[in-house]
Amino acid sequence: MTEGLRLGSFYSDHRTWLHAVSAPLKLLLLAVFGSALYVFSNAVVLLACTTLCLLLFASLGRATQPARKLLVMVVAAGLLITAFHAYLQQPLLGVVSALRLLSASLLGIALMLTTRSNDLLDVLENLLSPLNRFGVKSSALALQVALMLRFTEHFFIQWKRLDDAHRVRTGKPGGFKLLAPLTIRMLTSAQRVADALELRLPP
Amino acid sequence: MSRVLSPSDPTPILLDHVRLQRGTTIVFDDLTLRLNESRIGLIGDNGAGKSSLFRLICGLDKPQSGSVSVWGHDAQSKPTERVGLVGMMFQNPDDQIIFPTVEEELALSLSPNGLPRKVNCQQAREVLTARGLGHWAARAIGSLSQGQRQHVCWLALMIASPKSVLLDEPFSSLDLPGRAMLDMEISKASQQVIVSTHLLDHVRGFERVIWLDKGQVRADGPGVSVCAAYEADVAARCQSQHMSID
Amino acid sequence: MTSTSSRSSAIAYVSLFAALVAVFGLIPKIDLPLGVPITLQTLGVMLAGCMLGPKRALQALLLFLAAVAVGLPLLSGGRGGLGVFVAPSSGYLIGFPIGAVATGLLMAYLPVNSPRRAAISAFVASAIGGVITIHVCGVMGLVALANLSWTQAFWGTLVFVPGDLIKCVLCAVVVHSVARGLPDWRFGGRAFQ
Repeated sequence: MTEGLRLGSFYSDHRTWLHAVSAPLKLLLLAVFGSALYVFSNAVVLLACTTLCLLLFASLGRATQPARKLLVMVVAAGLLITAFHAYLQQPLLGVVSALRLLSASLLGIALMLTTRSNDLLDVLENLLSPLNRFGVKSSALALQVALMLRFTEHFFIQWKRLDDAHRVRTGKPGGFKLLAPLTIRMLTSAQRVADALELRLPP
Repeated sequence: MSRVLSPSDPTPILLDHVRLQRGTTIVFDDLTLRLNESRIGLIGDNGAGKSSLFRLICGLDKPQSGSVSVWGHDAQSKPTERVGLVGMMFQNPDDQIIFPTVEEELALSLSPNGLPRKVNCQQAREVLTARGLGHWAARAIGSLSQGQRQHVCWLALMIASPKSVLLDEPFSSLDLPGRAMLDMEISKASQQVIVSTHLLDHVRGFERVIWLDKGQVRADGPGVSVCAAYEADVAARCQSQHMSID
Repeated sequence: MTSTSSRSSAIAYVSLFAALVAVFGLIPKIDLPLGVPITLQTLGVMLAGCMLGPKRALQALLLFLAAVAVGLPLLSGGRGGLGVFVAPSSGYLIGFPIGAVATGLLMAYLPVNSPRRAAISAFVASAIGGVITIHVCGVMGLVALANLSWTQAFWGTLVFVPGDLIKCVLCAVVVHSVARGLPDWRFGGRAFQ
């Protein structure tokens, strides 16, 4: 079963070439390319980078379906940044920032669509293990990161369920009205998790 | 209590050559069902499509081909009107409760009438008082037990008085007294009630029970016989699995 | 509250609010009346401060930043990695944990003994602790990393303040609902004492 990271309900049924690439490699490439974006300030170079990222993203085909709305928001944010910097009489900086934003987002979303959260957590646990030497308990940190990702997935699943219920009862989507009940729901979930941890963690 | 249909009434729920695909899975292929009876049970294994069927009827999912209509009205069009025709109660009360207090939650069901919130809250209070639950009005949902929350969901459903009511596994999270109470409520309801459940005893007495198996109708008829057929099938499968392990 | 140890509660709630900050960065397309999109991520910061209080909110935001630093795509729009910490907007990012602490400190001292008071306190705490603090950090970042003058950065950042004030209202609304729906919840970190 090909299951994406499920952040933002980015569930992708359709297997792509990127699904087959290992999680540690993808995370490494993301880190390297993501940082490289900030090394270059030349607009032309960044435009080339962004084009490459777009091609990568487009090559995922139908798997990108769940993330289309998020991408629209990113593009809009990019335009906003360009306008903002133009208003401050720094148009080139605006273009550069917008291209960086777009590239970084495309890479990040591609990662989300094609990586299982369990695989990612394994990588993180390995990455964090050197911290043991400095007295930071990597397992506690890894646990919190794992919980954080689970809660993120859970939030979107819960949101969809409440939205469905709202649409059935009023005929309209829930929108921001659901923020409050969702928060309450997540708080009660966290309490249950706390209770479970109480029983299972060593004192 | 049965509601007698007159010949001029439109079909309560009609699925016509419906095809539903989710991602890469085909849930229903050329399904046609007429749901006229006032009490209908829906049984079958998990994953058979019971919840999907309900979602189609409520208009939450759109079929790839075919049509779904409730009381002559297409399930996909004009959702605000559909609300008065069909309502659904989800399995877990926490998945559907939107407001922090009981009266606001009930008022939400009335909101399609376009009246101000205060008016709807007042009506919600009256409904609660009529049922002897006036003291629930201002109570926080978080302070209610699981069974009480489910009852709030039921009241929210009833207060909107839709013509058809879909209940998705309503008994699973209730204790014995809770189930008995829900049985009583269902028998008193004047609208069409369709119940999906694993606890067959609650639908055995229904005039019609449909057994869904992998998106197909495996059996369709009086509750007693369909439930018995399903139980026999489950027993046979268990037996053959048991024998293949040995 | 139950008698679950504060350590288990802390782990669970800190992770939850780190998740909420991440989630608010991933919700697509929020429209203001002029069709201007904003992200809700700072709303997560404000909620963390109001609900958890300064100490736990700080932990939540540090967890979030650590996850972003490691490369998880949790910054609004799906960004992650160390690069985002040297971008011109990184001042705002560093402002997240500081803003959460400021919001939490205010919420810890403001009155919360009725849903209405809690909501008003939440608005004040998130406006001062959240909006002002984060924007101050953001401006410092813009001046240092984008070579803007203080005046330019100030006027630039002002553009986003109206949207952020709307988020303060949303924060207050959520706090109001939580106060009514979970009457036992104690704001501003009082729950963890």
